[in-house]
Amino acid sequence: MANPWDLIILNPMLNGLIALSAVLFNSFGLAIIVLTVIVRLILLPLTLKQLHSTRILQTMQPKIQELQKKFGKNQRKLQQEMMKLYKEAGVNPLGCIWPMLIQFPVWIALYQSIMRALATTPESLLDLFHHLYSAEIIARAIPLNSHFLWLNLGLPDSTLILAVIVGGSMWVQQKMVTAPSLEPRQQSMNSMMLLMMPFMFALFTLMFPSGLALFWAVSNVIGIGIQYKVTGWGYLRRRAQEASPKQE
Amino acid sequence: MVVNLSARSENLTFPALGEWSYALREPSGGGFSCSAKSIAVAIYGVPAVAEERVFIGGYNGRAYALNASARSQGQEFPQTRENEWFYPKVGGALGSIVGSPVMGDDAIYVTSADGKVYCLEKDFGDKRWNSTILSEKLWSTPGVEGDSVYLTTFEGHLYALSAEDGKVTWNFTTKSGIGFVSSPLVYGGTLFAGTFDSRLYAVKVGADEPLWEFPAGNCFWSTPVAGNGTVYAGCLDGRVYAIDADNGTELWSFDTGSPVVVSPLLSGDLLIAISESGAIYFLKTAASVDSRLVSEVSINVSVQAAPCVQDGIVYVRGQDNVLYAVDINRGEVAWRLPLSGE
Repeated sequence: MANPWDLIILNPMLNGLIALSAVLFNSFGLAIIVLTVIVRLILLPLTLKQLHSTRILQTMQPKIQELQKKFGKNQRKLQQEMMKLYKEAGVNPLGCIWPMLIQFPVWIALYQSIMRALATTPESLLDLFHHLYSAEIIARAIPLNSHFLWLNLGLPDSTLILAVIVGGSMWVQQKMVTAPSLEPRQQSMNSMMLLMMPFMFALFTLMFPSGLALFWAVSNVIGIGIQYKVTGWGYLRRRAQEASPKQE
Repeated sequence: MVVNLSARSENLTFPALGEWSYALREPSGGGFSCSAKSIAVAIYGVPAVAEERVFIGGYNGRAYALNASARSQGQEFPQTRENEWFYPKVGGALGSIVGSPVMGDDAIYVTSADGKVYCLEKDFGDKRWNSTILSEKLWSTPGVEGDSVYLTTFEGHLYALSAEDGKVTWNFTTKSGIGFVSSPLVYGGTLFAGTFDSRLYAVKVGADEPLWEFPAGNCFWSTPVAGNGTVYAGCLDGRVYAIDADNGTELWSFDTGSPVVVSPLLSGDLLIAISESGAIYFLKTAASVDSRLVSEVSINVSVQAAPCVQDGIVYVRGQDNVLYAVDINRGEVAWRLPLSGE
C-alpha cells in the first residue's frame, strides 16, 4: 500500500509531470520548465510573504548596524536591543523562514518526481510503475524523451554551461538578499555562504542528471524575477554602488 | 558466479570443485581522485551458456565471453586461446546492455541502449553485423527463431531482422504508438509482449494488425512463457494470467497479492509464479481444477531477477543478494548461497 507522502504529494506531481510532457510535444525538458513555473505560481503567496519579511528586515539594517556598533562587545545586550527593535517594527525575524519551510516538501516532491520520471535504469523504470496512474496519456508518454536542447536529461551535462547557469543564478539570488554585516566574523561567514552554496550546486550539476539541474536553473531564474519585482536588485546593486565611490 | 549444484546441496564451502567467480570491472575516471580506479560492471540480463563458455552483456556497454576453465584457474581475462573475448575490443563501449544476450547457431545477439542490435561471432567476438538504429534506447532481449531476430521497442515497434545481415524484414507498430515494455516471446509464429498501457499484445509475424490484445490492471513487465497453446504472463497488478494463445481469452488467473516482476516458469504440469514480495507459488496449469494452488513457499525477500527451474529445483536470486534453491516436492528452501558482490 502506498504511503501518504506518495499518495497525496508525490504521485499527483509525478503523473502531472508525465502528462505535461505528453501535452508539450513529448518534451520532458519543457514539462520540467512548465511544472516549475506552475509550482512557483502556486507557492507565490508564501514566497511574497517571505520576501515581505525580508524587505522589512532589509529596511531595518541601518538600525541593526547601529546597534551592532553600539553593543558589539556585549552580545546579550545586543540580542535584547535587537529583539526590542523587531518588536517595535512588528516583525518576527523567523517570519521569512516559515514560508520557506512550508515550501520545502513541495520542492522535495518536485525533485523526487523528476528523478523518478527520468527512470534511467531498469529498476527505476520498474519502480516508476508503482507510482503511475492508469491513463492513456501517461502510458503514451512513457518512457520519456530525455533529449532537450543540448542535454540528455537523464545524464549530467558534460559541458559547463548548465553548471555556470545554476551556480551564477543562485549567487545572484542570494546576493540580492544577503545583507552586509558590520561584525567581521558574521561578514566573513556571509561571504563564505554566498560563494559556498552556488559552488556546491554548480558541482551537483556536474554530478546529477541534467533534468534536475534544469529545474534548479529555472527555479533560480524565476526566484530572481519575483525578488526583483518585490525588492529590486537589493544588496546586489547596493554593494556595487558602495564600491564605485571608493574606486573613484 | 558459477555454482556446482551438488556441492551446494552438500553445503560445501564456496568455491568447491567446478565453482568459480569472476568480477567484471571497467576502468573509471576516478571521480575527483587522481588515482586510476575500476568499478564493478552491473549485469541486468541472464547470461547465455554454451559448452564451457558464458556470454554476458554488461551495463557498461560491453559484451563478454568467459571460459569456465580459464576463470576457475584465475587466469587474466581475456584468454583468447580459450575463446574468451569482450566487445568492442577497441574504441568506446556501446550503449548500456540491459537485455540478455541470446545464442543463435554460431553467433550471439545483443541489444544496446544505442538503439542497435549486434550480431557477434561466438568464438572471437568479431562483429558480423549491426542493425540500424531501431529505438532511442533498446533494452529488450531479442527473440531468435529460425532465421529471424525479433525485438520490441519503447516506441511501440515490433521488428523482425534477418539473422543473416540484420536488415529489417518486418515491422509492426501499435496503433496509438504506445511502447512495448517487455521483451517478446516467440511462440507458434506469433509474438507476445506487454505494452505501457497495461495490455498484452499478440501479433502474428508479418501481420499489420494484432491478433488480440489482452487488458490487465498494470503492465506485463516480464516476458510471458507458453506451452500447450496457452500463454502465461505475470503482471504488475499482482496476477498471473493464463491466456489462450489463439484468441486471447482468459483461461484463468491467480492473484499473488504483490506485483509479478519476473517471468513465470513452466515445469511439467506446474506453473511457478514468483511475486515481488518473495512468495513462490506452484500452480496447476490445467484450465479447470478444483484448487489452482498446489503449494507455496516464501523466501521473504524481494525478487526482481529472472529465476530458473531444473530437476525439480527452482533457483531464485533475492534482492538480498542470496541465491535460494527451492525444492518443489518438499516445498521448502533446500539451500541458500550468499552471492559475494560489490
